Amino acid sequence: MEKLKNYVDCVLQPKLQGDGGWIEFQSFENGEMTAVFRGECSKCLILHRCCAWIEEEIKKDLGLEIKLIAIRKKPYFQDT
Amino acid sequence: MAHIKVVRRSMRPEEWTDLRFGWLKRHIYSSKWEIENLEIRDARQTAEMQFEYYSETYRPLKKGDMYFTPDGTAFIRAEVNIPKELQNKELWFSLKTAAEICVKVNGKYIGGVDPNRERMLLSPYINSGETLHFEMMGYNRSKPDDERNPESLSVRGCRQIFEGAYITTVNHAVQSLVWDFELLLDIAKSELFNEDYRSFLNRELNNAMNFIDFEGEELSGVEEARDYLEKVVFANDNYKGSGDVALIAHSHLDIAYYWRRIHSVQKNLRTVLIQLRLMDKYPDFKYTHTQPYVYETLEKYYPEVFLELKEKVALGQFEPVGAMYVEPDCNVPSAESLIRQCLYGQKTYERMFGKTVNNAWLPDVFGNSWILPQILKKSGVDYFVSNKMSTWNDTNRFPHNNFIWKGIDGSEVYACVPPTHFITWNMPSQIQENWEAYIDKDSGGQTLNMFGYGDGGSGCTEEMIELMHRFEKLSVMPKCEHVSGSEFLEKNLKDNKNLETWDGELYLEMHRGTFTTKSDLKKINRRLEYKFRTAEILSLLRKEGNTEKITALYKRFLVNQFHDILPGSHIHPVFVDAMEDYAEIEKELDQIIGNGKKYFNTLNFRRSLLTFIPWEKGTATRYGEKGFWQIPDLEALSGAEILPSKEDEDWISVSEFVETPFYKIAFEKDGSISSLYDKELEREWVGGSFNKLKLYSDTPGNYDAWDILPNYKEKEIEPEVSSELSLVETDGESATFEVVLKTEKSTWKRLIRLFRRSRGIEVENLVDWQEKHRLAKVLFDCNLLTRKLLCDTSAGFVERETHRNTTWQQARFEVCHHKWCDMSETGGGIAIINDGKYGVGAENSSMSLSLLRSTIRPDVVSDMGKHDFCYMIMPHKDDAVSAKINNLAFEYNVAPVKADVQWLLPTFEPLYLQAAKRSENKKMTVIRLSEQNGSRGKIALGFKAKILNMLEEVQGETDVIEYKPFEIITLGIED
Repeated sequence: MEKLKNYVDCVLQPKLQGDGGWIEFQSFENGEMTAVFRGECSKCLILHRCCAWIEEEIKKDLGLEIKLIAIRKKPYFQDT
Repeated sequence: MAHIKVVRRSMRPEEWTDLRFGWLKRHIYSSKWEIENLEIRDARQTAEMQFEYYSETYRPLKKGDMYFTPDGTAFIRAEVNIPKELQNKELWFSLKTAAEICVKVNGKYIGGVDPNRERMLLSPYINSGETLHFEMMGYNRSKPDDERNPESLSVRGCRQIFEGAYITTVNHAVQSLVWDFELLLDIAKSELFNEDYRSFLNRELNNAMNFIDFEGEELSGVEEARDYLEKVVFANDNYKGSGDVALIAHSHLDIAYYWRRIHSVQKNLRTVLIQLRLMDKYPDFKYTHTQPYVYETLEKYYPEVFLELKEKVALGQFEPVGAMYVEPDCNVPSAESLIRQCLYGQKTYERMFGKTVNNAWLPDVFGNSWILPQILKKSGVDYFVSNKMSTWNDTNRFPHNNFIWKGIDGSEVYACVPPTHFITWNMPSQIQENWEAYIDKDSGGQTLNMFGYGDGGSGCTEEMIELMHRFEKLSVMPKCEHVSGSEFLEKNLKDNKNLETWDGELYLEMHRGTFTTKSDLKKINRRLEYKFRTAEILSLLRKEGNTEKITALYKRFLVNQFHDILPGSHIHPVFVDAMEDYAEIEKELDQIIGNGKKYFNTLNFRRSLLTFIPWEKGTATRYGEKGFWQIPDLEALSGAEILPSKEDEDWISVSEFVETPFYKIAFEKDGSISSLYDKELEREWVGGSFNKLKLYSDTPGNYDAWDILPNYKEKEIEPEVSSELSLVETDGESATFEVVLKTEKSTWKRLIRLFRRSRGIEVENLVDWQEKHRLAKVLFDCNLLTRKLLCDTSAGFVERETHRNTTWQQARFEVCHHKWCDMSETGGGIAIINDGKYGVGAENSSMSLSLLRSTIRPDVVSDMGKHDFCYMIMPHKDDAVSAKINNLAFEYNVAPVKADVQWLLPTFEPLYLQAAKRSENKKMTVIRLSEQNGSRGKIALGFKAKILNMLEEVQGETDVIEYKPFEIITLGIED
């Protein structure tokens, strides 16, 4: 789990930040990784595509097959 | 009986026209040949022109594939042999994409595509029968470069589906008809135009569309429809429009914002490239482009495109505008920084194009300091353009568009604050809106309307120019003239005796949070501004000959004053980049400043403020460093040793009250002061909450990093006292009290310092700031009767009213200041001196210094983490000028420096030595002096000096300086 968290923090996070997005590792259980998405990611209409890419990247770099559960934390002024 | 609204559910004639217009657009391409052998290689940009590749090789890219990754750069290539059936035809390259892609064919940049355009002309760049080598470099941003373009918005996102790339031919008749409809439908849908004309248009557009047969195998009737529009619609001049609008092509380019500075190199390339290709096609097209810095990146990395740009500059089509090196924030940078923006900007243009420009072009900056007119005027700038005050003010309508702007010293520049946004796409409705919003119709000549997509560059499109070419055929439109920036300014503002004058700062009634957001950037910016000053003075005295090195460092520093960097309105990586730049610049400056045995006073007046001197054996602590407090025995621009005083008398008593030689103080548990009795002046300074830390709920909405709203005081969060005020450190000069406050997430340690020999009370704040949506202020309710707040601008002070009589005062509930602010009545007052804070609020006799914010857009973790900053409360006799508050604030920000040098020139008192440096041409010593107290006088020099403008050009010679209030004077002393 630590390895996965480090990967999210050190490899994925800088890339998403570069586009105004934000990802935070939350948990990994039974093959499911839960991550919180903030910033531009939280309101992205095609976040699912990014999630699929993240799953592919984790498989490629860590050899782990995971399912990514995305939790969107929209900014307060966009929460409905 | 209930009223039932009749809703028409069947298709309206206008909807039928719209529907067919969509069908028509599908016929723009007469043929499309797909390039099927594309290959792609994914990467991420790590520095300017440096990439981290995700694979060793390219992979095939097919229609329907995913492409681009978060913050990704993609390299796409193909070897293409044009099929025989397309040879000898006019060919285009088409690629519909959400990304920003520059295209090179056989080694030549042919154009760019992005969400605003999808094709470029190919034929002029290829020879018949040859194999074409396509090389593309693309960037995909989750935030499009222009959020005002709905098509851009709809395709945002990091992972895109590739829609194919094609060699195409264009049906020019269809394309032309599409542009006709685009133009006329915009008018038909806009309530800004005559209702009868719009009815006429709706009827006749339907009639024109009826000529087209969409159901046959081939589209027919296009020529007939065009002919009908020409004879019926364009020929109808019964409906007369009014107005006179200058159309200026421009693309706003944020050097960093939702992207890092490293990406602006390619954003600029794409923008320039697209405009150059439009100039190739349309010889009458002129385009204005700002920021010498981005011209430098183009010259450095894309010299072949830069050469093309230079050719278009020589032809008068490509117009460099904007004297400043970048479009900086114009609130927080000091006068010297703004001067350097002009100096290095103008020198760059002069080197590149053999001439400087006479305008400042700052469409997007968040208000403009009152010191600017003088700086501009003395930097060869007669004209100033800035949009925000007209379109973004939240309370008052700014009363002018074309006017004269009078500066703090009385200098005047011609100014244009265009009535509408600086990003438009040249639609008739936008032009009409501009004319209707234009205030100075009777006095200002034409109104300025900029067109072109922007924020992340991009610029004008074929469509915008084609529409413009049709405007003169429409009697309902205002008269439009496509001109360059300088043509507009010279024609309408120069020598215009009818222009009104605005005498004051150009305060923006919005984005008031940018004085405070990203506290670290502001603090380091201040510190480095003074380190540059010190480094230049010492380099001059040591005759080090490092002008190029300092200029290069300065330029890097100035880039970080860009109006979405220093104000804090950017994504997290931009902040990281800026902090890295600052660290490297500071390291270089520290090396230049060097060391010495004695201390040198770089200020040109005798020091009088008790100052902290770092010394490892010292008995006092400040900013985590050991040292001692001493009044340095340092004359103006001279050196001496500074030794700790041997005083150890019992100068402070602590009981119910704390008593020092100056004050009898009653503290509250949280470190606020309930009574500050001045023993010398025999008066009480406290009129309520004083030195009280206030935390407010700060939720300004979408413009989170930018704005503080007027209602910010509505919801207050009371921090709890975690550790009560106690005396933690004392020696013969100072005593430090410590109190720790806490919220659920943050801790705020306040170190309150009292002094034996200073009236100042310093508060150091060590904060572990983990808040969201909070604004931290320190409040001072003063026992004074005053209706004005004096604020330092870095080159003189501005007086601001603190009552709330009209909406103009109400809107200025948070303003920008520099080193100090002051409230006084006859006999005395209170100044708050800071070392890196800029936001201050004032109401009646209260002032509140803004300390920290915690916004989440664009940066989710803005300002979170550790902070350490100081401010000094300085009660004083008389007013701020008589009490020499400005001198004290200089001393507070500019410590004596260890250097064994000697100053041989006069000290130029009472003017302030703003800078002393080698001239850029290395032939003179440049001395910059500023009058900052609002006084007038003479200084006999005893020698002849050249009078220079701020570009270091000789304007005259004198041996007596005659200075006026708030004047900045530049002298050249030849070797």
